[in-house]
Amino acid sequence: MFKHLAALDSVVDRGLRPVVRLLHLRLGLSPNAVSWAAFGASIAAAVVIAAGHDRAGLGLVALGQMLDYFDGGIARQFGLASVEGARLDTLLDRASEAVIFLGFAFAGLASLKLVLLTLTAVLLGSAIYERSGLDPGFKRVVLYLGLWFPYSVLFTVIFAANLSGYVIGLLLIDLQFQHRMDALEGDFDTVASRAARLEAAERQAVQAPRSA
Amino acid sequence: MSIITHVLATTLGVKALGLHGRDAWLAYAFGVGVDIDHLVKAPFYLRKVGWRDRRGYYWRSSLQEPVALSWIIPLCLLLGTAVPAVFFVIHLAMDYSVRFEKMPWYPYSTHVTRGWLIGMRDATKEITLLAVLICSNIWLLWTRL
Repeated sequence: MFKHLAALDSVVDRGLRPVVRLLHLRLGLSPNAVSWAAFGASIAAAVVIAAGHDRAGLGLVALGQMLDYFDGGIARQFGLASVEGARLDTLLDRASEAVIFLGFAFAGLASLKLVLLTLTAVLLGSAIYERSGLDPGFKRVVLYLGLWFPYSVLFTVIFAANLSGYVIGLLLIDLQFQHRMDALEGDFDTVASRAARLEAAERQAVQAPRSA
Repeated sequence: MSIITHVLATTLGVKALGLHGRDAWLAYAFGVGVDIDHLVKAPFYLRKVGWRDRRGYYWRSSLQEPVALSWIIPLCLLLGTAVPAVFFVIHLAMDYSVRFEKMPWYPYSTHVTRGWLIGMRDATKEITLLAVLICSNIWLLWTRL
């Protein structure tokens, strides 16, 4: 959820260290390779779900999520973490959700409209995650409840959680901007434009080395 | 615009469109309720400005900027009603007719605007609109009695 839950990650990391070592040292897999393997499992899950075998598909979703955890574990344990790796991981996570969700729509377990709206909500949250630091976390994991609840209800829950997360995330970014404005002195009537100019200049300064 | 003007505009819309139940609730939530972000920003306002009336100070948030349509439209599609978007746009149109600085697309863009009709005094626009809304509400109430 919040970035500061990284402490919990380190506890789990220690428990899963043997598997991480097996994947990286014995099998020679890089974090990116494991990310792609996780995506492969998600595609397989989507195909199986679309074919009408949602329980078997959820098993593959779980496999994909486990692999998805191990890529980060390898990166952290062996000092291979990178911005590019994190971006690929996020990109493949969203792609995994897209194919899995569409699998449910294809199987008729949820309407295509609801699935597309749910994906939109997830993508909106991801678009601002780097700045808001807020991820509600209610995505694929909710689908396991499909063993007990209708998938249409579960997709609505994922939609609501992620859209709420997006709205709260926007507000958190606004509060950061408010701090920036409050640090400025002078004319109140132009405080927003002056703070906006400062932020735009900072963004350009960050982007310039990347594009060079 | 003041909260009273927003309430009057929303009430007029609700009565004119004959909204009831959930749709009426949504109309007030998106026509008036989005102003709740001022409560979130109030501590900042009080710390920086104090109890003075400095309306030019930016204490809005994305909750009442056009960027909010990025989540309001998906919500409308899910609920199967355009009421939230319609009343939110009415709220926006009113706010954007007042000369405060606004950041329509923040955090995606740092573009700042003062809106439209900026050549006219804010007090003139607000009093005129308030008078029109009061008269319209009374007229609608009268015709429906």
